[in-house]
Amino acid sequence: MAMDAERRQAELIAQFSAQAAALSSAPQLAALVLEATSHPALFAFSELLTLPALSKLAGTQYASSLDLLRLFAYGTLKDYKSNSGSLPALLPDQVRKLKQLSVLTLAESTKILPYDQLMQELDVSNVRELEDFLINECMYSGIVRGKLDQMRRCFEVQFAAGRDLTPDQLTNMIETLSDWLGTSDSLLHQIQEKIKWADTMSEVNKKHQKEFEDRVEEAKKSIKKLNNLSRQTSTYGGMTTFSLNLEE
Amino acid sequence: MSAPSDAAAAVDTPAPTTAAAASSGGFTFKLHPLVIVNVSDHHTRVKAQAACSGDSSSSSSGAGAGQPPRVFGCVIGVQRGRTVEIFNSFELVLDPVSGTLDRAFLEKKQELYKKVFPDFYVLGWYSTGSDVHDTDMQIHKALMDVNESPVYLLLNPTINLSQKDLPLTIYESELHVIDGSPQLIFVRSNYTIETVEAERISVDHVAHLKPSDGGSAATQLAAHLTGIHSAIKMLNSRVRVIHQYLVAMQKGDIPVDNSLLRQVSSLVRRLPAMESQKFQDDFLMEYNDTLLMTYLAMFTNCSSTMNELVEKINTSYERPTARRGGRGAFM
Repeated sequence: MAMDAERRQAELIAQFSAQAAALSSAPQLAALVLEATSHPALFAFSELLTLPALSKLAGTQYASSLDLLRLFAYGTLKDYKSNSGSLPALLPDQVRKLKQLSVLTLAESTKILPYDQLMQELDVSNVRELEDFLINECMYSGIVRGKLDQMRRCFEVQFAAGRDLTPDQLTNMIETLSDWLGTSDSLLHQIQEKIKWADTMSEVNKKHQKEFEDRVEEAKKSIKKLNNLSRQTSTYGGMTTFSLNLEE
Repeated sequence: MSAPSDAAAAVDTPAPTTAAAASSGGFTFKLHPLVIVNVSDHHTRVKAQAACSGDSSSSSSGAGAGQPPRVFGCVIGVQRGRTVEIFNSFELVLDPVSGTLDRAFLEKKQELYKKVFPDFYVLGWYSTGSDVHDTDMQIHKALMDVNESPVYLLLNPTINLSQKDLPLTIYESELHVIDGSPQLIFVRSNYTIETVEAERISVDHVAHLKPSDGGSAATQLAAHLTGIHSAIKMLNSRVRVIHQYLVAMQKGDIPVDNSLLRQVSSLVRRLPAMESQKFQDDFLMEYNDTLLMTYLAMFTNCSSTMNELVEKINTSYERPTARRGGRGAFM
């Protein structure tokens, strides 16, 4: 589930961080950045970004590597295309990874992604290629889980791995969580009221039933009394008419 | 014949055949709930049949007066090294005269089970009762030629509401030296319950079948809702924990853990789980179906009540138009 993807990355991240800590020269760090961004299983870059060693790259000629890392952490393929001047050229591995990350970003905002939008974002021209990409790169690597709806030409995302977070996204998440908590609290309240309602209704029902039974008992008793009285007065008459019937 | 009877007498001497000591064999026992259900079912059936036949015949059968009859059976399962896993059980007939189990039946059953479950062996036997009886050791020894160290499962059928554990004990036989002569005695062993998915489903089903005070529809609804309530409450408390954690992280009390943040963000992204069009369609369709069925049921109820009422009115107001027999209209 979510945890597997993260766990796999945890080892890689630890490995890369250790390497980065060990290296000190700029070109080596740049090479490390290149390796990290083309690694097929690594999708999380904020740990590397926050390493002090990498911030040293900021002023030097390898600043573009730092920008590249930042792009991989927070940006999409579109951002790359708009800034392609200032960023180094990408290897095909990196292009693929950037596409995967773009899918993740798209999955952040909406759960149903139309094919057209995906094709535009990912720069693919036909549906077949798009589906192949989604299936092979995204679903098999475990970062996304969902259903491809060909008839409606959309991709329903059920689960998407998290990307690195910018600080303002954290506030959004906190807000969403507090909304969720509010909704579930009110739901709990409503359920409790329903339970109380069900109990009271069953009480009312039982009382009604009991009243009904009591009334029936009373009616039976009064009929019996009437019966006894009337029998005592007309016994003889009834007997004669009865015997008459038999003879008929 | 004298030697076995002497040996039997030695076993049946006042020295107790159980020790309260824990087994030192080192076997780990794993019990599946199917076995427990089987044994209790067997016992309940025999008890019900005895009660039934006891009612029809004269109640002079003093044997069944206080104690329900004991039932016996075999347990089968797999033994891997020191782990004994008991999967299933079947019933056996105990010959009340000689006090031995019906061997032919046992062997036939064993063969049948071997065909279906080739891995299972006879691991021991079970019985019901509140404590180990003296005759149990004989049966235990009889089984020792099938399995060299059989296990004895005892189920206590008396319902004790204050007891929290299962009234089930597993005994092994060990050779202890008592009063200078080695004797086989029963020693209690510990066991754990092991479930397969299918067993979990059925046990859960049985547990929910009868609500604790026996329900009408309304209390069943209340029970169902209570279940949902507690589930949501648990979810709520967990989400609250995450929320507090994030707030603390934002304030800076806790160092930022990126991997956790990523996981939480992927969790949050799953959130508007009910908003898609397809969900609405399916949900409304099912809702309408349920309402329709309730309506139909209500209709049927009403029409049958109406019918009864009409019949009652017809019968009670028929007399003036009926034949002149007065009260003789009951033909």
